[in-house]
Amino acid sequence: MRLQNAALGAAGLAAFLALGEAVPRLGLVREEYFPPTSRIASAFADELSDGAFWTALGDTLTGWALGLAIAVSAGIVIGVVVSVVPYLREATASTIEFLRPIPSVALIPLAVLLYGSELRSVLLLVVYASFWQVLIQTLYGVQDVDPVAEETARSYGLGTWARIRHVLWPTALPYVMTGVRLAAAVALILAITGELVIGAPGLGARIAVAQNSQAVPEMYALIVVTGILGLLINVGARTVERRALAWHQSVRGEVAV
Amino acid sequence: MRRLLVTLAAGALLVTASACGSSGDSGASDPGSSSGGTTTVKLGLIPIVDVAPVYLGQKKGFYGKRGLKLEISTASGGAAIVPGVASGQFQFGFSNVTSLLIAQSSGVPVKAVSNGIASTGVAGKDFAAIAVKKGSSVKSAKDLEGKKVAINTLKNINESAVRESVRKDGGDPDKVKFVELAFDQMPAALDSGQVDAACAVEPALATIKSQGGQVIASPLVDVAKDTTVAMYFTSTRYQQQNADVVKKFQEATAESLAYADAHPDEARQIITTYTKIPASVLAQVTLPKWPAEPNKESIEALAKLGEEDGFFKKTPDVDALLP
Repeated sequence: MRLQNAALGAAGLAAFLALGEAVPRLGLVREEYFPPTSRIASAFADELSDGAFWTALGDTLTGWALGLAIAVSAGIVIGVVVSVVPYLREATASTIEFLRPIPSVALIPLAVLLYGSELRSVLLLVVYASFWQVLIQTLYGVQDVDPVAEETARSYGLGTWARIRHVLWPTALPYVMTGVRLAAAVALILAITGELVIGAPGLGARIAVAQNSQAVPEMYALIVVTGILGLLINVGARTVERRALAWHQSVRGEVAV
Repeated sequence: MRRLLVTLAAGALLVTASACGSSGDSGASDPGSSSGGTTTVKLGLIPIVDVAPVYLGQKKGFYGKRGLKLEISTASGGAAIVPGVASGQFQFGFSNVTSLLIAQSSGVPVKAVSNGIASTGVAGKDFAAIAVKKGSSVKSAKDLEGKKVAINTLKNINESAVRESVRKDGGDPDKVKFVELAFDQMPAALDSGQVDAACAVEPALATIKSQGGQVIASPLVDVAKDTTVAMYFTSTRYQQQNADVVKKFQEATAESLAYADAHPDEARQIITTYTKIPASVLAQVTLPKWPAEPNKESIEALAKLGEEDGFFKKTPDVDALLP
């Protein structure tokens, strides 16, 4: 089953790459603006042998990881506190709904004003965008706590901390993990967008330079890199999720089938 | 209560973000930090052909011998540089003249310190041009009436210049339909017919020409003879507090500009170190002029055009802007 899936996936990718080679070769679009797969591949190989590319990749991953870490910790802590403290949720609900849909990219002028074109500007965007994913999921997760379990824990004399640890957290964890997985992808998108628009060092800035330079195959090669990165991050996040929730019904069920 | 919470949440986010960010860099946040006789200044640039002289000057040691260490930050557009300089993130920046005039007229405290680039002054052989697709019916600037023209930023220097070209050719610039499009997308947009003409600069212009595109006007040449297009600038506050650093930067940049202007091959060579312009394209690129001094009349002409076209909140003070 798994082998068949992998084979299908590979076949899909091969068909896509072949299409990418054929479309410009057949003259459906001009090669100058959409180079065939083989030319992108050779530009990709050139990138891999360039030290500056690896530095840029490192910068992007640093921005992604730091931003995600801040967003996840802040999202979980604030989410739990807001849910646990009575009235705090009502008091913040409309504020959260007001702030959440603001696109992070709209904050670019603010980021530049505060931090110029460096890592911190990118972090601001990444944290803003991915924080809400985690926060909202944490809020939903906490809401899902079984009131009977909660009351039982209370009547057995468990304190606030023990109730958070043994009742609230196991219930909320699957939600939180979904939030983290979504946040991981959003953080990557925002890290690269931030670099692309602001010019902070990283893959995004390298794409911007390639665009300004009319270096079309190099630009697509870098875009392919961001795609691969997204794929790896998604696979990684799913693995982490499966490990953390190995005890949970949803994951156990999946394995049993 | 709610407002307090919002403020607290926003504040907490900003603090965590800044705390994490600053652990990575080595105290570079101190503006113009000096150690052992060298002053480190941050310069905000767009990684394009225009700024080759500072890269060359840095390599040649023109800044170093004056005790300046340049730390170049690249931004992908001029729009990020002006606020960066005004807020002290960068000590110096590079921006086109109209953007500086717009900033100055809206009360942003900027001060030009050195020349940046100038047009070649030769019609048809400038680094910026209005170009059309091969075989287009548009033959001159006047024909742009009712046509779609791509420019990189609306209500900025290139719109001023294109409007002036149309005006000088006897056309009505108000009848031109301007579309905002990044320079790098202009060749493809022109080729596929999404726009009828594009006001492009190098290296996009070289790409357009290599595909048979025709140059119909040189807008920056139409503005004035030898138009000053962009300049290096600082904030008025930094200039007042660090007049000696500004003076050193001014001298070093003037020397770099003169050197780059006299050694175009070396300028072309240095461009390959901070851009990805393919060698075949770079050989075709028309370099701008890099005079050491700005041309005041051309800046006044741009101020006048910008005012006619309604770009400014109030009349900009050219004398206060210039060094």
